[in-house]
Amino acid sequence: MNRLYPEIAVAQLSKAGEELCGDKVEIARTEAATTVVISDGLGSGVKANILATLTTKITSSLLKRNVPITEVVPTITQTLPVCRERKIAYSTLQIIKLLPDSMATVVEFDSPTTFLFRGGQVVPFPTEARNIGGKAIREGRLLLGEGDIIVAVSDGVIHAGIGGLLKLGWDWPGISAELAAHCSPADDAEKIAEHILGCCNGYYLGQPGDDSTVVVIKLRRPRNLTLFTGPPANRDMDEQIVKRLMGGEGKKVVAGGTTANIVSRVLGLPVNVDLNYQDPEIPPIATIDNLDLVTEGVLTLTAAIGRLHDIRKLRASARRDGATLLARLLYEADRIDILAGTAVNPAHQNPNFPAQINIKAQVIANLRNALEDLGKRVTVEWV
Amino acid sequence: MSTLLVEICLGTSCHLMGSQDIIDAIESLPPDKRGKIDLRGVTCLKTCRKGPNARINGVVLSEMTPERTLAVIEDNLP
Ligand code: FES
Repeated sequence: MNRLYPEIAVAQLSKAGEELCGDKVEIARTEAATTVVISDGLGSGVKANILATLTTKITSSLLKRNVPITEVVPTITQTLPVCRERKIAYSTLQIIKLLPDSMATVVEFDSPTTFLFRGGQVVPFPTEARNIGGKAIREGRLLLGEGDIIVAVSDGVIHAGIGGLLKLGWDWPGISAELAAHCSPADDAEKIAEHILGCCNGYYLGQPGDDSTVVVIKLRRPRNLTLFTGPPANRDMDEQIVKRLMGGEGKKVVAGGTTANIVSRVLGLPVNVDLNYQDPEIPPIATIDNLDLVTEGVLTLTAAIGRLHDIRKLRASARRDGATLLARLLYEADRIDILAGTAVNPAHQNPNFPAQINIKAQVIANLRNALEDLGKRVTVEWV
Repeated sequence: MSTLLVEICLGTSCHLMGSQDIIDAIESLPPDKRGKIDLRGVTCLKTCRKGPNARINGVVLSEMTPERTLAVIEDNLP
């Protein structure tokens, strides 16, 4: 069976004048499940933020330890303080849990109805009212397929424009019409999240009256990437490592001139350095047939890590230097397998760069951290 | 028309030692000369300690500068 990958994007706005967003989103990916927990703290600012953070953190850690949802919900609802005057809980709770077989469970407690965007149509994610530990919640399960998209929004989005541009606010039907008319199932999750949040901000005339959050989860085929960087310790291993690189699923990338020469020799294919695009900082890229990208090594990797720290800029960038191209390919992948060679690299045997080997380990560690922070699954194998 | 093969190393070490300046110098030669040069980049000539390195007509030359490279090219142009 082809396992699908949940691509997740979160877009948020804070209430005008507030620095902290009172909505909180916690994403946890494990082998067993991917869970997204969303909480909207009553009010805004610090207090709302703390309540929402508490709610999402507790929920997420309980779910990670495989505590069933039927137990998690009462634990949370009983722990959460209730507003004395308004008799409502101090924060809402919404859970979206996806199993590896694409079975999705949605739980809503005082939160807006979840959207299901399937084949261009938008419908409420099917849920039923349930009573757990004296609390009315809604819960539903549905088997998702490739291209299915789940959208969850906080109250701030539902009420966008209320009393201003829109008498009753944007509201659920308005948002669902916007999704159906202006978003496509082919769009990536981030594009949809940014679009909806952009409209929301527009209805608020750029002055959000409430914290607003959009979470988009799209199921698609997983994208893998194998990165081979640095010559292997032992020359006899060259062939085997190149075979691993070429046999891997998905994109294939080589970072390092000496590494590129090894791949070229093993495959019997030439390396062509591209002199057409010149960049003052990043050495030029090269091409080898059947590889998706060939770049220089340590300088390009270091710059690519920098680019991964600013995804918005990366997405908008028109630069075509090796670091930007590499960062983009890495960003687009869900799973990255790094084959890192440990040989003393001849290109680093320059008296001007001492201790290069430690630097290499450091660069790979930084790369791994940057990718994991973006929710990627990364493996590093020293060869 | 026969051309002169000029390969400039663009590996990490040579890049740091200024191989891009050599490329720039060759690129800005007048068209009649530039047209006779088959300029290519290579990734490492395994003499990193003595970069930037170039290979002109198959001969590896170390510790190159733009001026030296242009002089060698001048001597070898077909
Ligand atoms: S990097 Fe130029 S010879 Fe190695």
